[in-house]
Amino acid sequence: MTIMRQNEVIIRVAGAAGDGVQSAGEILVRTFARSGLYATSYNYYQDIIRGGESWYQVRASDVKVKNQGDGLDILVALNQDGVERHTNPDINEGGASPLGKDGIAIFDNSIKGYTKRDTNYCPMPLADIAAKYSKNTLLKNTVGLGAAIAASGIDFNIFADVIRDQFGKKGDIAELNVKAAKEGYDYFLANYKPLGKKFKFGKKKYMISGGMAVALGAVAGGLKMYVAYPMTPASSALHFLAQHAKKYGVFVKIPEDEISAINTVIGANYAGVRAMTGSSGGGFALMTEAVGLSGMTEVPLVIYEAQRPGPSTGLPTKTEQGDLNQVLGASQGDFPRIVFAPGDIEEAFYLTREAMNIAEKYQTPVFIMSDLYLAEHYDTIDSFDLNFTIDHGLRAKDNEQDYKRYLITETGISPRAIPGQPGNMHNEDSDEHNEYGDVVSDAVTNPQDRIRMMQKRMRKMDTYIEEMKPTPTYHIEDAEYVIIQWGSTKGAVEEAVDILRSKGIKIGAIEVKNVFPLNPDIGTLLKNKKKIIAVENNYSGQLSKYISAQFLVKPDLITKYDGEAFYPNALADEIEVRIGKKKEVIRE
Amino acid sequence: MNMNDYKNKRVPPDWCPGCGNFAQLSAITMALAELKIDPKDVVVASGIGCSSNMPEFLNTYGFHGLHGRLVPFAAGVKWANSKLTVIAYGGDGDGFFEGTQHFYHTAKRNVDITYMVSDNQVFGLTTGQASPTAPIGLRTKTTPDGNIETPFNPIAFALNAGATFVARAFSGDVKHLKDITVRAIKHKGFSFIDVISPCVTWNKENSYEYFRPRVYHLENNDVTNFDQAYKLAFEWGDHIPIGVFYEVERPTYEDLDEVLKDGPLVEQKVHTLTEEDLEEFA
Repeated sequence: MTIMRQNEVIIRVAGAAGDGVQSAGEILVRTFARSGLYATSYNYYQDIIRGGESWYQVRASDVKVKNQGDGLDILVALNQDGVERHTNPDINEGGASPLGKDGIAIFDNSIKGYTKRDTNYCPMPLADIAAKYSKNTLLKNTVGLGAAIAASGIDFNIFADVIRDQFGKKGDIAELNVKAAKEGYDYFLANYKPLGKKFKFGKKKYMISGGMAVALGAVAGGLKMYVAYPMTPASSALHFLAQHAKKYGVFVKIPEDEISAINTVIGANYAGVRAMTGSSGGGFALMTEAVGLSGMTEVPLVIYEAQRPGPSTGLPTKTEQGDLNQVLGASQGDFPRIVFAPGDIEEAFYLTREAMNIAEKYQTPVFIMSDLYLAEHYDTIDSFDLNFTIDHGLRAKDNEQDYKRYLITETGISPRAIPGQPGNMHNEDSDEHNEYGDVVSDAVTNPQDRIRMMQKRMRKMDTYIEEMKPTPTYHIEDAEYVIIQWGSTKGAVEEAVDILRSKGIKIGAIEVKNVFPLNPDIGTLLKNKKKIIAVENNYSGQLSKYISAQFLVKPDLITKYDGEAFYPNALADEIEVRIGKKKEVIRE
Repeated sequence: MNMNDYKNKRVPPDWCPGCGNFAQLSAITMALAELKIDPKDVVVASGIGCSSNMPEFLNTYGFHGLHGRLVPFAAGVKWANSKLTVIAYGGDGDGFFEGTQHFYHTAKRNVDITYMVSDNQVFGLTTGQASPTAPIGLRTKTTPDGNIETPFNPIAFALNAGATFVARAFSGDVKHLKDITVRAIKHKGFSFIDVISPCVTWNKENSYEYFRPRVYHLENNDVTNFDQAYKLAFEWGDHIPIGVFYEVERPTYEDLDEVLKDGPLVEQKVHTLTEEDLEEFA
């Protein structure tokens, strides 16, 4: 049972693809953010530009909202299908509940046949109002949003300003939209009762998506070049950077393929510029060989890998965490690699920024693993801590005597020289080489050099493990049960923990932000628990298997691979079943 | 500076005696010496194959990367630091099989690098299979009955792609190869040199002796005439033109890009993110 809170509102805009569902949803998020509320969102869409059903859910509150939520207060339906799908209790849209008792359904009064059920149907002359102002039928969305703003008790003026900004220079059109919205707002208040929500409005928030946070984090970490081939859901970062190329001084390029992208950024990093590439699993597959090139030549490299369901083209507009095996196994041979999995927007920013330093310090590939859910949903933040120092790691001095690019050191890290630097000319090689970079693989294969270089490179992992920060935990102190989670499932898992704790169940969670190498402290955190449950948005429990192997534990596994994110109440129910506190829940 | 200052004194070349790659090593080092380019400002990037071992024998900055991927790597270096002289050097298998799309698009973009291909019609390092430029009838390990596939035409391909400098040279004529290399490095834009470079081990049919009487120097051709260059690109057999087919000026990618035109990326300031920047998200 989903409990609706007085200081929280969940609004869903539903319609066909091309109806302007997404932009309507984004206007709502921005309005809440400017009103001083936290908001998060979920865009349920399909791999087509027009037609097909789609919906956008926004959840706002005066306390941090961690996921899209599985309740619903207000539905703005742009077509009959939308009304039916989201108010029929027998339909369960990807795990999200239909509009329940006391919920408000706003739709055009030309849609007939909806009067009774335990929902407040609020038909309105959306199209008629819109027609007074414009021939553009999309204007009826704005009228509907005006009504939703009235129903949730948000200041209309803030909403009006958001609309004005949305239309920017098109001042006249903006004012038409504002007027239409106001009529929707007034109509609702004159004919229906608002929800009676009570919010404590705080400071205005910033609205940002996970892809944007990755891009911004990279910029804050000294990014100067982003080369990537388009692929959903990695493209939100690419688009953001392309639009901000001049402002942030970042060279952005779409090359002929992903192989070119990764080799180009390896070239740029080699030449002393912080460069990054990004893709989803299919595009990343093409980059595989060059990941090892970075490992072997010890050229720093940051790769953004935004997952979507596979195999192959899979579900291009859906979410999944099925690429961990791929990222861990990318490229032949053993070489050091570091993999981060941010759990939310803030972590996407901070971890990407940190990755830029870590890659250069350890001179090896570093991954930021995200997924469609994190990459594409908008969320709100108070701010980012912008204090950061770019650290280029160990660099050679000019004209070093007897310069050795791959000097054997205790840490495994050798001083880098950058082209253009006087006196330190050398060769970096994908063949096995000695300390100078001279090849030892062809004519004079030298097993001793090979062993020394393998050990030197791999020693960087030991050095890195020593500097790892403790694994983040959530209510772990007195927990009898522990959930293992990685990446974007963080919000749903934490809320599930809250729900179960409110029922007196002593449960906690650990967030595996460093998916490779694993932090050794995980072993301690998992000790003496009644049950360990891994929650993963994939079929086989990829992280769970890998944790089992390393720490000799046997987690129970809750997976989801329908392309949708976890919903907190549904997840809490399932966890309760697994720990034996509840009988199995029958779900559609 | 003389040519030996550009050579790695620790590592002698490991090519077969008589290999065409020695001529390219001489031509590149002589050209750099003639142009008085400081070794610290040179990056030679290669792929995988016999010829691609080149950077190991040089005393410049070098990078021996992946088969077929030398060109995007070289473009990345140039885009990071446009002050560097960037030479991509690889083989015909490397560049015209796996690297074809990179070759095409980098030429189209007119990235200011020099791309030299040591073209011997076979895979040498993997012990003698037919390459994309293998002529019809060439017998190799993979074509025991003779090659039946129409050979790749590097000159026509480079012209089609939009390369702004397109040339052919011959390992048996080092002085000419050096002169072409000097011109290619000096050319602002994408320069391509296809070097006929006999493989003395795996391609006995197309040897120095075969090519020497057939090659002739292009002398009075109008290098700005695309149609003429394109026609010459198909001259092969008894008369094989070597020299510059085509050379025109066109803005480079670096000249046109909004960010790169402000100077070498490596010297540009890193943007410090401020609270003001975040206001965009309000």
